[in-house]
Parts: sequence; C-alpha cells; structure tokens
Amino acid sequence: MQAETEVILRGGRVVCPVTGTDAVTDVVIRNGLVHAVGAAELPADARVIDCAGCVVSHGFTDLGAELGDPGQTWREDLSTGSEAGAAGGYTTVVCSPRTDPVLDTPVAVAELKNRAATVTGARIEVAGALTVGLQGEVLSELGLMAEAGVVAFSDGGKAMSNAALLRRAIDYARPFGLPVWIRPGNVDLEGSGVMHEGIVSSHIGLRGIPAAAEELGVARGIAFARLTKTSIHLSHVTTKTSVEQIRRARAEGLSVTAAAPARHLVLTDQAVDDSVYDTATRLLPPLRPESDRRAVVEAVLDGTVGCVFADHVPLTRLEKEVEYMFARPGAMGLETALSAALTATQDVSATVKAMAVAPAALIGRRAAVEPGAAADLVVFDPGADRVVSGPFRSKGSNEPLVGLSLKGEIVLTMRDGCIIYGPRTS
Amino acid sequence: MKRKDMLGLRGVSKEDIVEILDTAERFRNVSERQIKKVPTLRGRTVVTFFMENSTRTRMSFDLAAKRLSADTLGFSAGSSSTKKGETLMDTARNIDAMKPDAIIIRHSAAGAPHMLAKAFPWSVLNAGDGINEHPSQALLDMLTMRDHLGSLAGKTIGIVGDVYHSRVARSNIFGLTTMGANVVVAGPGTMCPPSMAALGVEVRHSIDEVAEDADVIMMLRIQRERLQPGMMATVNEYSRFYGLDLDRLNKAKPEALVMHPGPINRGVEMSPEVADGERSVIMEQVTNGIAIRMALLYLLVGGESAGGDSNAS
Repeated sequence: MQAETEVILRGGRVVCPVTGTDAVTDVVIRNGLVHAVGAAELPADARVIDCAGCVVSHGFTDLGAELGDPGQTWREDLSTGSEAGAAGGYTTVVCSPRTDPVLDTPVAVAELKNRAATVTGARIEVAGALTVGLQGEVLSELGLMAEAGVVAFSDGGKAMSNAALLRRAIDYARPFGLPVWIRPGNVDLEGSGVMHEGIVSSHIGLRGIPAAAEELGVARGIAFARLTKTSIHLSHVTTKTSVEQIRRARAEGLSVTAAAPARHLVLTDQAVDDSVYDTATRLLPPLRPESDRRAVVEAVLDGTVGCVFADHVPLTRLEKEVEYMFARPGAMGLETALSAALTATQDVSATVKAMAVAPAALIGRRAAVEPGAAADLVVFDPGADRVVSGPFRSKGSNEPLVGLSLKGEIVLTMRDGCIIYGPRTS
Repeated sequence: MKRKDMLGLRGVSKEDIVEILDTAERFRNVSERQIKKVPTLRGRTVVTFFMENSTRTRMSFDLAAKRLSADTLGFSAGSSSTKKGETLMDTARNIDAMKPDAIIIRHSAAGAPHMLAKAFPWSVLNAGDGINEHPSQALLDMLTMRDHLGSLAGKTIGIVGDVYHSRVARSNIFGLTTMGANVVVAGPGTMCPPSMAALGVEVRHSIDEVAEDADVIMMLRIQRERLQPGMMATVNEYSRFYGLDLDRLNKAKPEALVMHPGPINRGVEMSPEVADGERSVIMEQVTNGIAIRMALLYLLVGGESAGGDSNAS
C-alpha cells in the first residue's frame, strides 16, 4: 500500500467534533498525514479530489466485528472484512475475539495481528477474550494479551452468566489500562427466545426474549462500574429502559459508555413479521419495538449512547437458509452502518461523533482532522438516496437492511493517506 | 378464495373463513356415503410432510386428500433424509422436483411453512408450526361451534390452559376474533400472560370466571413433553386449578359446549365424565376435521378445472 505524495480533498464540509471544525474547506494530505485543513495552495503534482456536497471527517472505528478468521473463513476473512470496512467508511475495525479458536491467548493475538498487517482495507485491531474460549469460566491471560497489542477485552457478544467472575475480570483487567466490553444480557432469560418478546412475537408465534434480559445486564454493568470504580463499556444497548439507566449512571458520575448497533436505529421487530420470518432479522440483542428504537436514537443524539457500531456478524446461506429458530443470530453491518445511522439521526455531526470520535476514544485514539494526524479519513455524501443492495464486499449474505431506502453513501475512504475505497486512480 | 397457501388464520378475512366453512359443510356428506370418494382432485399429488409426531391431523389430511381422489404421499422425520442432516430447504427442493401440487407440513419451527410457501410454486398447508398456528384445527373448531351456535358473532368462547404456547389457541383467537366472537382465556400465569390482551382476547384469572358466561369452553392439552422448567408446579395442582370437572361445568351455562383439540390427558385438563358427557362435542370436531381439510385442499388446489364437478352438494 503506497500513499500518494500529496492529495487535496477539495471543497467538502469538514466535520471534526474533536477540533470543533465544521466548515466547507480543503484538507491537504501529504505523506500519509493531514498537512493542513483550510484553503490550500496547489502544488503541480497534487491530486485533487472534488468533495463538493460531501462530508469529510475522520474515518470510522468499529467496535467488534466478527471476521471469522481464523477458523470460519467461509463467513469472512481478514481481507474481506477489511475491504468491507473500507467500503463502509471504516479506517479501523476491531476484530471480535469470537473466532475459532477464540482469540484468548497472546499467541493467537500476535498471529492475527501479524496477518492483519498486510490487509489493504480498514486497519484491523484485536479485542482479546475476557475468558478462555468465551466460556465465562476461566479468566484469560489479559496482561499478556495487552502486551501482544489488544485494544480491549471483550466477551465477544456472549453475555457472561457468572456475575462473580465478571466482577473479578473487571478488577483484574483494570491495571492493564484497557477497556472491558460487555454485552448486557441474561443467558437464562434469553433462553430459547429468538426475537423481542412483545406484540409482534405474540402475533407470529416465535418465542420471545424479554427486554428485561438486556436491562438486567445493564443494571449489573452499572452496579459493577460503581463497585469496582472502573470504566465499563456496554457493547449492545437497544432498549428505552437501558438508556434511561445509563443516563442516570452517567449523571451520577460513573464511567459507563455504551454502543448501539446501527441497524437497531432503523429497524424494529416489525421487520421479522414484514419479512415473513427472514432469518437475517434474527439478532442478539433482537430488534425492538418503535418506542425503544426512538429512545436509542435520542440517546445517540444526546451522547448517552456514545457509539454506533456495525455489529458485523456475517453468516452464509448455509447458516441462514434454515428455519428461523435454528438460524444463528447476527447480521452483516459494516457496509450499511453509516447509512443506517445517518438516516436515523439525520445529524451529520452526531453521526461522526458516534461512529468516528467516541469509538476511537474508547480504544485510546484521537479521531481528529488536524495537521500532523494520520490521514484516516472518510468522504461521504449525506444527501445521497440509497436503496441497500448487494453485491457486498463481505462474504456474508445476511443483511436485513437490503431493500430499504436510506440516506448517505460512502464516496471515499483513506487510511494513512492511501485510498482504500473509492477512486483509487486519478 | 384466491390464495395459494393456508399458513395461518392471522389476516384471513371473514369472507374467506365463511367460504371455507361453507365449502366444508358441502363436503361433509361425502364421508357419510358408502363410497366415500369424489373425483375432484383426481391426478393431483398431495404430500404430507410431518416433521413432528401426529396421529389425528395426519390421518385426517390423508383421508381428506384420498376422499378427493388425490394421490397422497407421506413423508415423516423418522423415515426421511432429514435424519441424515439434509436441510429443510434441500428436502423441499427434492419434493419439488417430483412435481407435487400441495404440501401439508407440520414442523417444530414457527415460520417453516412460510419459508416453503415463499420459495415454491405449490400450495402449502400449515398443519402446525411450533407455537405459531394450526389453522385447519381452528377451522374445524369453528365449524363445530357454528353447527351448534348458528353464528359466531357475539358469542363468548373460553380457552383454558397453555394458551400462550398453543398453536391451536392462537389460530382460534385469530379466526374467532375475525368472526366477531369474544375470546376469553385463563390458565397458569406462565401460560396466559397479561400481554396476550394484545391479540384481542380478555385474560381472566380462573377457569370459573371463564365458565361463567362462555358459550364454548375449549380445554387445551397440557403438552408435558414441551414444558420448559418453571412453567407449572405439578400436574396435580394444574388439574385442581385449571381442570374441567362436572362440578365446574355445572356452574356454566347449561347449553355451553365442551371442546378439546385432542389428544386428551384424562384426569388432567378434563375429567372423563366431562370428556364423554353430553355437552362434549370432541368427536364431532374430529369428523369435521376431514370436511375442513377437504375444503382447504379443494379451494387451494382444486382450481378452475375441478370447480364444476366437485359433486359435493
């Protein structure tokens, strides 16, 4: 991957919540770094990319994509996951530890990071498993994984049932200075449920998962943040009561951050009925009713839920062309998250905060468009109408947003000054 | 009635339900004849595809198809390649390659019939999918009620037992509310949650409150084999609070009908005296089942060519 010597992104709306910039201007990139923000002189050999009508912001960071590599490369691999990320405006994708074998040892982490160094799309970082095999029974070598370069510790979307172990994991992780990500859930209440328990599940005869399963998990996470005086990140927040609890906890001064899957900002549980049991709508946490959806969108706008992420779980026909209750939960998302977030919030600045700034901060990075910063940038057209359709760069075939009319389209993604999506040659 | 499939009664119009019941009424006398066969579906192939155990529903559909002169082919989980790991869609593709006209499917997964209906040109009849729907059972229940009550509009139908996890109850609720009946339900709190009101039913606290004003008392079978832990304490306690015995029945309206989709757990949800008593119409339900299934097959598969020579009336 070779960065062009000098590129000018001309005349876009530069949105950088970190520096407070929101103006139509130029961004000059030189040798992989942002050289200047503002009207620039034009060297003879510079490549000029017209960004009129588009937003230019820091590239997005995704918090936990299942990349299926190693062990499940029919679903995704580092290369396709990285390319899918680039197509979605991501410059960094954090790989979930849910691979086969699980990323729960320093060797596994080092091996993956080594291979990830050669990808040509979004940069791949690693979240290490909190417990061995994600089984929720034995603590992983968190310190050694931190040395190997993980950016977070995560339960990989598997809610831990043992509260005592979770509490210890949070305490144990603290000295290593990395965030702990927990999906708020309750394994017992989730049981054999396959969608949100509510009016729609009653109508279509699918076993439900009560919202209380997530809300108990949120309450537990908040209680542990208070008990351990440690930051907690709730990785999948989707209900009104969840966001109300988080709002109160933050008002109390607790260090609790949260993320919502982008698709939950636009889809409701009605999608399960409307799609006639389409298994792409089988998700964990499940799609929620309209009142929850609205509350989560509001929470993204006011910062209670600071991050919006893709919750990328690519699955193939093999895993999804089955009876609804037998389908694995999960859906793709890297290539549609921006459109979902933008359509739901109708707010460019809030979307950039939730997809670029806050997720980067969570892994200790500064997502600013400023001189001297790495040129990790995305250019998107916020007004573009897009009917979601394939083909996708991901290997997955489970995108529940297919067919929906959304706003916003990625035009160009640049990592370290290299164009990783969009017009690669001038 | 213009539809390819019968997947459930949710969203089915009153006109369509009346047409099915009226058609079934005309088919009923076929089963009374010495030669119990009409040529309506001659040359058509009907496949019964049962991925869950069934005795009466399967026999009933099979007889209905045979009395319409269709060729029938049975296929069940125990004898099929599904045991060898074939997916439902692959099994269906193989059946499709044999050019059937209709498939009657029972499956433990809600939505399985819908999946086939979306993917294939033949008619799909849902004979029970998970806890979702069992439309032919509800239609035969409604036909039996109509025989005795004349009309369903304004009548009060009580359903007692594991209403939430019963596909029979669910289909009845959709069909009966469409027909203008009031549906009241009662059962253990785990089986009749207050949220069921969203389906347009009234949730009552006890079987006595249901029996009080019901024109029909429909008792559901406790599916002991499917109960998740904590759904109920003991069969004895269930029977004491939610079983229908003569004492309770005597407090109901004198003309109230007693129904049960079968098979009965005698002594659990219903005492033998009630099951065999004069207000029980349980065997009529079974007989009406064949007529309803003949009507469904005729209306879905019969098409124009068979319309003229049904010999039903």
